[in-house]
Amino acid sequence: MSQLTDIQRSAESAADVVRDAGGRVSGRTRLQKTAYLLELAGVGVGFSFEYRNYGPYSEELATATKAASLFGVVTEEERITSWGGSLFVFTATGTGTKGCESRLALARAAASAHPVELELAATAAFLYGEGADDPWAQTAKRKPDKAAAGRLARAQSLYEKLRMMQTPEGLPMLPPINR
Amino acid sequence: MAFKPQRVRDPVHNLIRFHADQFENALWSVIETRPFQRLRRIKQLGFSDLVYPGATHSRFAHSLGVFHTARMLMQIIQTHLGPQHFEPTKAQAALAASLVHDLGHGPFSHAFEDVGRRLGLKMASHEHVSDSLIRTDDVAEAFSKLGSGFAADVADIINRKGPKDIYDAVVSSQFDADRLDYMQRDRLMSGTQVGGIDFAWLIENLEIGTVPYGVDDTKVGDLETFVVGSKAVDAAEGYVLGLFQLYPTIYFHKTTRGAEKLFTEILIRIVELAREGSIERTGLSDTHPIAIFANKPDEIESVLALDDSVIWGSLPLLVEARDETIRLFSSNLRDRNLFMAIDVRERLKSQMDGKLDEAESLDRACDQVCVRIEEAVIARSLEAKGRVPSILSDKAEREPYRRFQESKGPLNQIRVKSPNGGLVDLGERSKVVGAIQTFKLYRLYVARDDQEAQRFVADLIKREAAGNVATH
Repeated sequence: MSQLTDIQRSAESAADVVRDAGGRVSGRTRLQKTAYLLELAGVGVGFSFEYRNYGPYSEELATATKAASLFGVVTEEERITSWGGSLFVFTATGTGTKGCESRLALARAAASAHPVELELAATAAFLYGEGADDPWAQTAKRKPDKAAAGRLARAQSLYEKLRMMQTPEGLPMLPPINR
Repeated sequence: MAFKPQRVRDPVHNLIRFHADQFENALWSVIETRPFQRLRRIKQLGFSDLVYPGATHSRFAHSLGVFHTARMLMQIIQTHLGPQHFEPTKAQAALAASLVHDLGHGPFSHAFEDVGRRLGLKMASHEHVSDSLIRTDDVAEAFSKLGSGFAADVADIINRKGPKDIYDAVVSSQFDADRLDYMQRDRLMSGTQVGGIDFAWLIENLEIGTVPYGVDDTKVGDLETFVVGSKAVDAAEGYVLGLFQLYPTIYFHKTTRGAEKLFTEILIRIVELAREGSIERTGLSDTHPIAIFANKPDEIESVLALDDSVIWGSLPLLVEARDETIRLFSSNLRDRNLFMAIDVRERLKSQMDGKLDEAESLDRACDQVCVRIEEAVIARSLEAKGRVPSILSDKAEREPYRRFQESKGPLNQIRVKSPNGGLVDLGERSKVVGAIQTFKLYRLYVARDDQEAQRFVADLIKREAAGNVATH
């Protein structure tokens, strides 16, 4: 069997995020934030992330997902949501990463979370990594509408739940909100 | 304290006025700072003047034009909200953000960012540098005349990278001031005759509408943004088509991109040599601004010392470099002896068109073949590691509307007021806009004197195109 090329490898890595999350991820935000948290917890594959409108975002992952779709290892289906936007549903078959139960557990928990709360949690973690003293307050400042209606508090609970999962590096402990 | 009015002549907007009030005088102080003055030496279109000799306009001129346009847009918001609801503080922060949004751009903007992405250099990201410059030193001090937290408010707007409210729409929306200025300025200065917009009519007919936004399957709320009045559907259509035409004509021009590729390789090689402790192989002294950046890429001062003129001025030194890649590519750049561009997608399309079965999309088939070609080129480059690169890849895409990365929804569309007052996507009102597909390019740049590399690329395209047709 021939060796995988770099592009095939990254496409497989994108597919593995979907596979490890249970074979189906509903939404680009869920996919991106799940992959980000996997990287942060030390069970990722090396996708690099930068800050964008929806929090941490990886162009490499987006490109790899497109390649995965072209190779047929991921299926991307677009659906129109009730609010008028598009929902992209990713499905992948086959076995994902082997021998890392904590990655599977984290991927499943993140990918099944409420997308706004997941975005807030990933954003706070990202800002903390960038040196923010009060990442939750900064997250709320950047995303006031998303942080409203109790979502910020639920995002904190979600993050704590994910942090309690035993991963090699573990998600960092974020300082409590100090507003 | 007496305030002084200021006026600037501008090729696009004619007179740009800074009024004699506290706010606009503070902005003038920002313009006088070293980081803002540096923008005079950063060209808006990078290497585009290698194609369009007139396209030498600076980010300085563009930034003033963006502010001028933002002020016009803010007038629409003020009229819409009325004196009871209009918030001058938020408006001022958004206007200031429009003025300084480009402050952090490095020399040859996007090519410089490419270097940063490939080498993991934070300070090569213009957004990161802008943030740092706005919050500290000269610029922050100039903004402090408007309040101690003003600079932070301005930086926050730019950092959000998406609209939070109607004031942000001036900085980030389908009709933001940045795009409304650069479309006119780049067209005028390049001399191209495509891509024109009916600016006055668009501004006259912009209105405020409410659109829903959300994350994946969850609605978060509604957001006010600019929408187009029903009398300006044709102008909006021209706006979308104009932007779409400017991409292949100017921004993605093969020669401009080819020069960017060489520049990127030169800078990457310099940073690599600096990391190896071999800066003397670059032809630059330790105290040259590029060498300082290569040695200390995380320091804001290193980036601030770089601009287009520093790069052009360094070429006589770089062409004497002991490192072969730097020496050859600098000479190529200096003499405009660029690599030959091979448009892979165009060649594939001409070879595959009409040979696929009807169900197969030519575009998707091209995507698949491009990936295989890319793999082969990467494999060849890895084998040749350590030698002067002979094939450089360029891949890019452009959607007709501005996208906020992960989302696709009403905020990513241009909404038009229908006669009954509702909002519809312009793509539904205009068949031509609705039919626009994402513009994609995949080019390979090959050294002109490297016959072997040229044969390799030609054979590769032919083989992969034939292979794809055979499998269908």
